[in-house]
Amino acid sequence: MLPVLVVHGGAGHIPKERVEMSCAGVRAATRAGYAVLQGGWSMDAVVEAVTHLENIPSFNAGCGSVLNVKGEVEMDAIVMDGRTLASGAVSAVRNIANPIQLARLVMEKTSHLCLTAEGASQFARAMGVPEVPGESLVTDYARMRWEKNLAPDANPVECQMGKMGTVGAVAVDADGNIACATSTGGMLNKMEGRVGDTACIGCGGYADNRVGAVSPTGHGEAIMKVTLARLILFHMEQGLSSHEGSDLGLATMKERVGGLGGVVTVDPQGRWAARFTSAQMAWAAAQGDTLHYGLYPGEDITQSIGDPN
Amino acid sequence: MKAVIVVHGGAWAIPDEMAEVSMEGVKAAASEGYRVLGTGGSALDAVEKAVRSMEDNTVFDAGHGAVLNADGEVELDAIIMDGLTLGSGAVSCVQNIANPVSLARAVMEKTDHVMLTSRGANLFAESIGFKTVPTDMLVTEYEKREWEKPKEYGTGVKELFRSQWSHDTVGAVAVDSCGNVACATSTGGIRNKMVGRVGDSPIIGAGGYADNRSGAVSCTGHGESILKVSLARLIIFNIEQGKEVQDAVELSLRYMGERVHGAGGAIAVSPSGQWAATFTTERMAWAAAEQGALWYGLNPQERIQDKLSQ
Repeated sequence: MLPVLVVHGGAGHIPKERVEMSCAGVRAATRAGYAVLQGGWSMDAVVEAVTHLENIPSFNAGCGSVLNVKGEVEMDAIVMDGRTLASGAVSAVRNIANPIQLARLVMEKTSHLCLTAEGASQFARAMGVPEVPGESLVTDYARMRWEKNLAPDANPVECQMGKMGTVGAVAVDADGNIACATSTGGMLNKMEGRVGDTACIGCGGYADNRVGAVSPTGHGEAIMKVTLARLILFHMEQGLSSHEGSDLGLATMKERVGGLGGVVTVDPQGRWAARFTSAQMAWAAAQGDTLHYGLYPGEDITQSIGDPN
Repeated sequence: MKAVIVVHGGAWAIPDEMAEVSMEGVKAAASEGYRVLGTGGSALDAVEKAVRSMEDNTVFDAGHGAVLNADGEVELDAIIMDGLTLGSGAVSCVQNIANPVSLARAVMEKTDHVMLTSRGANLFAESIGFKTVPTDMLVTEYEKREWEKPKEYGTGVKELFRSQWSHDTVGAVAVDSCGNVACATSTGGIRNKMVGRVGDSPIIGAGGYADNRSGAVSCTGHGESILKVSLARLIIFNIEQGKEVQDAVELSLRYMGERVHGAGGAIAVSPSGQWAATFTTERMAWAAAEQGALWYGLNPQERIQDKLSQ
């Protein structure tokens, strides 16, 4: 049933005290994106939902991004338009409040698909996108975790799974047009210039009107090695449902490269899935008059879309 | 098991005056890569060696001989992938590096990451004592002249691509005697690209992919189109579905033409040593070495056999 929007706020293990904040955040982002979807285009809806999450400091994207090894914020983002397979991405970009909107500008205003680092900043300036001080994207929580992981015995990769990941959204609008958007601050204490799955088409997102759309989250390097988004859509092309395709893709990633993660997936008919192999993933979906959401495996809580909370 | 290496020097409208040097270049690269395989080297070692050979050759748009971006700078992309582990390393938009493919390999082997970009990639190079070179050393007189030609501002890359498309990407795929496959791709991108533009080459699944269960692929051509269809992964997927290597490449290139109107080329090899070198552009310089024979070609359907010099 169309339209439909599915949003995630990252796969991982979410500390107890942050659970409610995370769930409320993805619900609010889903409502915001779904409002756009009433008569609007799926691309506008996924960008709206992801912008919303980038602006909430408790998610690892935009303000609230994790810090790299130098204590700085470098972000990756991607959008993709399932009608034409057009896509835009930025990698390792700094001083931008909403990388997802810059990724969309790359798609719409250049003949390229991906701009990186200082080149992406130059393009942002040329487009009149306001630069924000790096500090404005850094939360106390992000700084605390960065310092903790500078300790010689720290294990940032392990700690990584104890945090909120990437944010993302997939949608099908009433016309059957499909889009995806993904945005992230990346991996805790990553090297300067590290690019994860998010900015790489087919890894951190893929959308095709003929098949569906996927936005992944989780261990970026593992997602890249199996090109997770494209892999799931290959399975769906072969006849698997969004649910089965997602589970098979995630199982392959676990089996082949030992990586955990999660995805939100839709097909052209609006059949959606929110699946994960990590301990938790904050997600929400809107379809008809119903808002679905969950955090733990198997959880699917419903409420009226009109419910203000 | 049969060891094979296939290399390409880019799919584009190679002008006649560059035909001979391009073919000599790919033949030399395939021979060097095959020598690695013949002396017990891995597929990974072989593709790195072959790509380095073309990076060092100013005829090709990679390493020495790379094209200049809109600011007249050299920014290089490269990827390498090991089909045994699905391990991969890539650098995007890196400067002052003569052999980006080797830096990509260092990313794979010495970091927890798959891809490093721009200044971060250069800082990593510095931290491991990787050799850097002045930009001037990478730029040819030919490229300086081409870049200086009056630029039509506002002309999109697509138009540039059709009219004055400069020489493109290099790449290699190989299978070694243990049945391990690997791929590597390296490029200077497209002339007058925006500062910071990342093309298909360093993106896993687009510019290259390698998996011991199905094969290895390296792509070349219109980067933005290759990205939109994740061309390397698409070819591998078609092999996984039971297609012959040659059919898988043709089918995928045709799909790219139909769906996003992009032309390009790809080389592929399967774990059993089947291989293909196919393109939808006017020309692609390629060469393949196996069991004492060296194959090469430039024009569509062309497949010339030569003796492999030891």
